[in-house]
Amino acid sequence: MSYQTRSGRMGQLVSIGTLNMPIITMALVLGLVGVMMLYSVAGGDFSPWAWRHASRLAVGLLLMYAIANLDLRTIFNAAYPIYGVIFLLLAAVAVFGNSGMGAQRWLDLGFVTLQPSEFMRFAVIMALARYYHTLHRDDVSQPFGLIVPIGIIGIPALLIFAQPDLGTAIMLAVSGLGVVFLAGVSMRYFIAGIAVTIAAVPVVWNYLYDYQKERVLVFLDPERDPLGAGYHIIQSKIGIGSGGLFGKGIAQGTQSQLKFLPERHTDFVFAIYAEELGFMGSLLLIFLFAILIFLMFTIAAQMRHRFSQLTIAGFAFALSIYVIVNLAMVMGLAPVVGVPLPFISYGGTSLLTFMAGLGVILALERQPMAELPK
Amino acid sequence: MSVYDMEGQKFSRRLLLLGGLQGGLFLVLGGRLQFLQVARSDVYETLAEANRVNISQISAIRGRITDRTGKLLADNDRNLQIRMVPERVGNMDVTLRDLARLLKLSPSELHEIRRKIRRGPSFKPVVVLEDLSWDEFARLNLNMPYLSGIEPLVGQKRVYPHAQSVAHLVGFVGTKTREDLQRVEDIVGDYVGRSGVERDFERDLRGTPGVRHVEVNAIGRTVRELQSEAGKKGRDLALSIDLELQNFTTTRIKGQSGSALVMDIHNGELISMVSAPSFDLNKLSRGIDVEEWEQLIDHERKPLVNKAMQGLYAPGSTFKMLVALAALEDKLIDPEEKITCTGVYKFAREEFHCWTADGHGPVNMIDALERSCDTYFYDLALRVGIDRIEAMARRFGFGKVTGIDLDGEKGGTVPGRDWKRANYDTGWRSGETIITAIGQGYLLATPLQLAVMTAALANGGKLVQPRITKSDETTEPAAELGLKPENMAVVQRGMYRSVNRPDGTAYASSLLIDGARMSGKTGTVQVRRISKDERLNGVIPNSKLDWHLRDHSLFVGYVPHNKPRYAVSVVIEHGGGGAQVAAPIARDIMVRLLQKKPIARAPKLASHDRSEAGS
Repeated sequence: MSYQTRSGRMGQLVSIGTLNMPIITMALVLGLVGVMMLYSVAGGDFSPWAWRHASRLAVGLLLMYAIANLDLRTIFNAAYPIYGVIFLLLAAVAVFGNSGMGAQRWLDLGFVTLQPSEFMRFAVIMALARYYHTLHRDDVSQPFGLIVPIGIIGIPALLIFAQPDLGTAIMLAVSGLGVVFLAGVSMRYFIAGIAVTIAAVPVVWNYLYDYQKERVLVFLDPERDPLGAGYHIIQSKIGIGSGGLFGKGIAQGTQSQLKFLPERHTDFVFAIYAEELGFMGSLLLIFLFAILIFLMFTIAAQMRHRFSQLTIAGFAFALSIYVIVNLAMVMGLAPVVGVPLPFISYGGTSLLTFMAGLGVILALERQPMAELPK
Repeated sequence: MSVYDMEGQKFSRRLLLLGGLQGGLFLVLGGRLQFLQVARSDVYETLAEANRVNISQISAIRGRITDRTGKLLADNDRNLQIRMVPERVGNMDVTLRDLARLLKLSPSELHEIRRKIRRGPSFKPVVVLEDLSWDEFARLNLNMPYLSGIEPLVGQKRVYPHAQSVAHLVGFVGTKTREDLQRVEDIVGDYVGRSGVERDFERDLRGTPGVRHVEVNAIGRTVRELQSEAGKKGRDLALSIDLELQNFTTTRIKGQSGSALVMDIHNGELISMVSAPSFDLNKLSRGIDVEEWEQLIDHERKPLVNKAMQGLYAPGSTFKMLVALAALEDKLIDPEEKITCTGVYKFAREEFHCWTADGHGPVNMIDALERSCDTYFYDLALRVGIDRIEAMARRFGFGKVTGIDLDGEKGGTVPGRDWKRANYDTGWRSGETIITAIGQGYLLATPLQLAVMTAALANGGKLVQPRITKSDETTEPAAELGLKPENMAVVQRGMYRSVNRPDGTAYASSLLIDGARMSGKTGTVQVRRISKDERLNGVIPNSKLDWHLRDHSLFVGYVPHNKPRYAVSVVIEHGGGGAQVAAPIARDIMVRLLQKKPIARAPKLASHDRSEAGS
């Protein structure tokens, strides 16, 4: 098979028109929804959050385009090294990291603070895709074929869990297991795994920090502590519920503007969105996310290389669980675990990693025929 | 069927399974939304409307600022305010008309209130009026039943009893704007320091706001208080300055443009630090209009600048002590060696003039300091060289900030070969060494740096770090410069004679109180070039020149001469000769200081200081 790309000659930037426009459009629309909500949360002001979100969105688009230019083989070859570097960063956080809000998550590089755990979820997906690309299909469900994937997922998940950041650790593990599932590992393992997890709940419970236990207890019964830990959930539900069918209008939400709701610009931004834009607006947002994920799955199904299939589908799955878990948490269907809403919550690492992930998808989609080593 | 296709099919199957699971979860979310926002929306609407728990914040009382004796420099006063929640006002026009009648508001005030109301969302409380008198406040309270949506409130405001004399040190506060709100507990409308100590010690002064949880009914009236967490009052802060001396100094240099400061030579505490002209803290804290602000900014004499630490001046003859020390430390001259001054010093076809055209005749080092002979130092400069002069200046803290606990300090310039190369891209010339030796040319320092230098000369060679707050256990001891005591003695001797001998430049400013005399050194800095013609026809006296062409007048000194304790540094911009203007000011300040004994001491030093002060 001859090597060819849609961009024509090597060394030239690909024309934007040859990239998957629906994906780019969806990312832009969702990012702009984020800008609008952050403008609203600040009481109708671009500072302190909205303009920064907008500039990060612009940087993110450039990053996405830059990554979309990469050669498929470059990405393929980089999968393990990227995993290695981020793994080292994660280990560095464990040793040197800054403690913020009682947890060690950030690595201060002087000019920028990084949250390596946010990068890790994509690195894990790519490393797994790279692994299964080479693994013979007969070995996929063999016990020895499972050791490496479990290591790839498990070790960083444990490091993140120890930060302590239970939410991100679980998200990472689930994203990774999604790839393992897509790779075709026998269903038996998953059924067994779920059984073991349920059995392990009492054991894990003992290892949780008090605030984590409290969150779970409060999730089960928010009235337990209406001014303390249950406050988030109660106020968030009031915000969403009082939005009604059509919402109260941008920057008019009483829950948000009277500052009843904490973390309004980060994890709980959807509560403000639902309050101000109502049921119709909320359905529209969920629909937008669903379209984006559906598009990514469609692309994955059209790919020939195992690496491309698993990377794209893995990214799609990771995005979907972020959206689902965040929304469920804000609506009081899941415990408060500190998961941002992709593209919309304020936070540079989250936005940039998702944009970079889309860039990888664009690059893979562009080069379905390029040759990869087996 | 090929291997590829089999794998592809399995992948598609799994993809479909996963996609189905996600689709299902999205449906669950949609259902939950429907439940919250449609089915039970009326329940949540009521809950939001009358959000049972109303959380309001109570501003913390800002810490007060005092002088070293506890006299108040910044205090809090009651601020009677009216707050309005616009959406709870029945008829806005009627309510505003009633308010205007009750409080005799002018149309423009009324207009301003309407503007404030329009700015925020209608459910947010707005402070519509503040600084009411008791009378007005009482009248309003009496009429409360007829005014819905209006709430009288007793708040806080900042007042400065000595708004002019401590303006540059204490600084002023302003109302927090949206940009200031960095933290969750920050409150719009609270005060935040905008300059001076108010800004630099914001963290200490601010305190922690309290939180009040109250149960409110649907129209927002408080039903009962659920729980309250009192805020923590900000920390009171004592400055090192003595208000009485500060006020005296302020009066003494009124009408001038410049600064005067007095520093404890052992711990660096500033006993007074005055910059003139000044401004009114109370006015700036309450907010002034753009026009007034621009007037302050554009004023020729820069009232907003703290000249004591932000003004940069050539030190003039006050720098000669360091040139002398540089020579002595490296044994480049015997202090007794005489150099003859004819009034003009010729070097490389250039003429360098001594300040007196007739010349001083043969002078040794002590004579040269006493009479401020320029020629002696011209000659000495060439023996010492710029490298040693530069090194000595840097040792005494020139060229970098002193590290005083106030922001905005300037560091000045110490010229040298590297500096010249970096800034002018040319080599150093010997003629430049000559003018540097008399503190002119590129050399620039703040009056504060001159005070630190003087303190080090007086305390036997220790570089103190000046401070505006009282020193305590955490204060670092002054850095030892490692200079030879016999060399320090020569310089001190020169400074003593400069003030206390009839030939000394500052003899007119000598003082004697309980056996204490002042030692010091004058400095006169030219800000214009004197032409050859002018020298021939007689130099124009300062009094005949435009203000901005007159010489800067400097004096540094310390008291008592035999047991040094306080350093003084005075710089009057375009004041004229150092001996005529700055030295008498320094004398008056020092007389005042010596007369008012004992001056309050920092607690730590109290035990061993008492014996000194008792003499």
